[in-house]
Amino acid sequence: MIRVVRVRKSFGAKVALEDLSFEARDGRVTGLLGANGAGKTTALRVVSGLLRPDAGNATVDDVDSGVDREGAQRRLGVVTDESGLYARLTCREQIRYFGNLRGLRGAGLERRIDRLVEALGLEELAERRVAGFSHGERRKVALARALVHDPRNVILDEPTNGLDVMSTRTVRAIVRELRAEGRCVLFSSHVMQEVAALCDWIVVVAGGRRVAQGTAEELVARAGMRTLEDAFVALAEEA
Amino acid sequence: MSLFAAAVVVRKELVDSLRDRRAIVSMLLPALLGPVLVSFVLQQRVVEARSGDQVRIAIAGRDGEALAAWLQQQSGVSVVALRSDAEAAARAHEADVTLEVEEGFARDLARSRPAHVRLFTDSTRAGVEPKARRVAGLVNHFGAELAAQRLIVRGVAPSVIAPIALDRFDVASARQRAALLLNVVLGIVMVTLVTAGMQVATDSTAGERERGSLEALLLNAVPRWQIAVGKWLAATAAALAGMAVAIAVMDAALSRLSLEGLGLRFHLGPRDAMTIFAVMSPLAFLLAAIETGLSCFAKSYREAQGFAAVLILPVVVLGGAFASYPVADHAWVSWLPVIGQYAAASQVLAGKAAAFDAAIGAAAGNLALAALAVWLVARMLSSERMIAGR
Repeated sequence: MIRVVRVRKSFGAKVALEDLSFEARDGRVTGLLGANGAGKTTALRVVSGLLRPDAGNATVDDVDSGVDREGAQRRLGVVTDESGLYARLTCREQIRYFGNLRGLRGAGLERRIDRLVEALGLEELAERRVAGFSHGERRKVALARALVHDPRNVILDEPTNGLDVMSTRTVRAIVRELRAEGRCVLFSSHVMQEVAALCDWIVVVAGGRRVAQGTAEELVARAGMRTLEDAFVALAEEA
Repeated sequence: MSLFAAAVVVRKELVDSLRDRRAIVSMLLPALLGPVLVSFVLQQRVVEARSGDQVRIAIAGRDGEALAAWLQQQSGVSVVALRSDAEAAARAHEADVTLEVEEGFARDLARSRPAHVRLFTDSTRAGVEPKARRVAGLVNHFGAELAAQRLIVRGVAPSVIAPIALDRFDVASARQRAALLLNVVLGIVMVTLVTAGMQVATDSTAGERERGSLEALLLNAVPRWQIAVGKWLAATAAALAGMAVAIAVMDAALSRLSLEGLGLRFHLGPRDAMTIFAVMSPLAFLLAAIETGLSCFAKSYREAQGFAAVLILPVVVLGGAFASYPVADHAWVSWLPVIGQYAAASQVLAGKAAAFDAAIGAAAGNLALAALAVWLVARMLSSERMIAGR
């Protein structure tokens, strides 16, 4: 469960988040929908404790990430906007590195890596260095790395950005599986189809504020439009 | 709190670097190139110092037979008679040194008037200066023998015109003379310390940030100081490895050179080599910490490399200052980085009593500064600028 309460964050004179509140519940996929520069990544960084809010707070399973960053991060798995892999390490080594950093070791960790590699269809790539991997393969490795410690809460920043159809399907399947396991999944996207296809709950962000929230159907109905895209444009302009 | 996470970071950075050709090159190249360069320069000096032993002289002028015959008797000297112009012959490098005995040389000698000899060399030729000095000395010697004969003929003892006999002694032992060389060796070791850890320090901080992996790393519920310590120790390990290679190569190269011609002997042996390594190693910790810290301020990997490379300057300048000014006798000197290491290493190798204290002082000063720099790195890693400031 991720809760963001009245968060304000500015960089110098530029206000990135203004009084932003939303909730991402367990067993549900929550989508943060917004145009580029709307403040999605900043909001996710506040949740993961990388940025401190100027006002308000963000909690992960009731642990305030601004107060106990490590405590919040222990309950959290994050795939960042850029995959951020190490080109000279193999797929397995990347996952093992993050597992080790989280205090996992030995046969238990290796079994966990095997399961993730299998679930993401990375078997053939597991022992290869990621330098030559495609964009989709990199995303999958980053996803496996973020899930190595079996987190209850998962944040995905633009997870299917730039992926081909097959990879997108794999990622969607993983997201649905995470939901089925009762985890809290919070992901950001500017792609309407993505959000419409996956999310149980949508938070529309524009200019650092929440302009609307609800299910896809509710948002469409409220804006009096036929598609989510039209609804999004209407809601964003309204704000 | 265990140091486990820091150890995990160290291992990962070292594995990563060992697969990075640039890291290997920057670790090994100065360590290999420095000793080779020094050996080459020293070898040249040995060759030059010995070059006076063998000399070929061309003599022009009809009156020069007596001088030529006398020179011919000196060891290592060969003489050829020259028909052409002496200056042209010198330009054409027909011999190492060309002498021109002037018209009327024999007549002037017979009349006890100064008889002129002109000596031509091309000073741009390598190794010609010691030869010219030797030939000039020989000609003067020839003159002195003539002078002595003239005095004897006139019933005067030749010692009358030699009121002072100057005998020169160099009391420096071969080992002390080698200490001069040691400063060069230490300088190369220092430069290696700067360059060997540089790639790891910059790549693991600025490089990581530039490639976007730092954000993912900082999400792992690990205290930032552990990440800072891990990256610092990885860079330190690379610097120490570079230094070990540099010392080993230096010792191997220099002990193979025959430096007796320069009046010195250089052979470290495992004990001295390890002493140098031990005395210099605190500097590896400090330089790696500074490089890691500077890299945190850099916006890109390239900028970080630029920052870190600037470190070579103070290291070399301080080394030069130490060699030029006798500051090593002051106790406070040993606490200064770089100078402290120079002082301690030279004292240790000269077998001086205070050496141990000097080495401890140098180590303490360095490690204190290194701790400060690592604390700054941890602060930098905690700042939002590292994530949002790109």
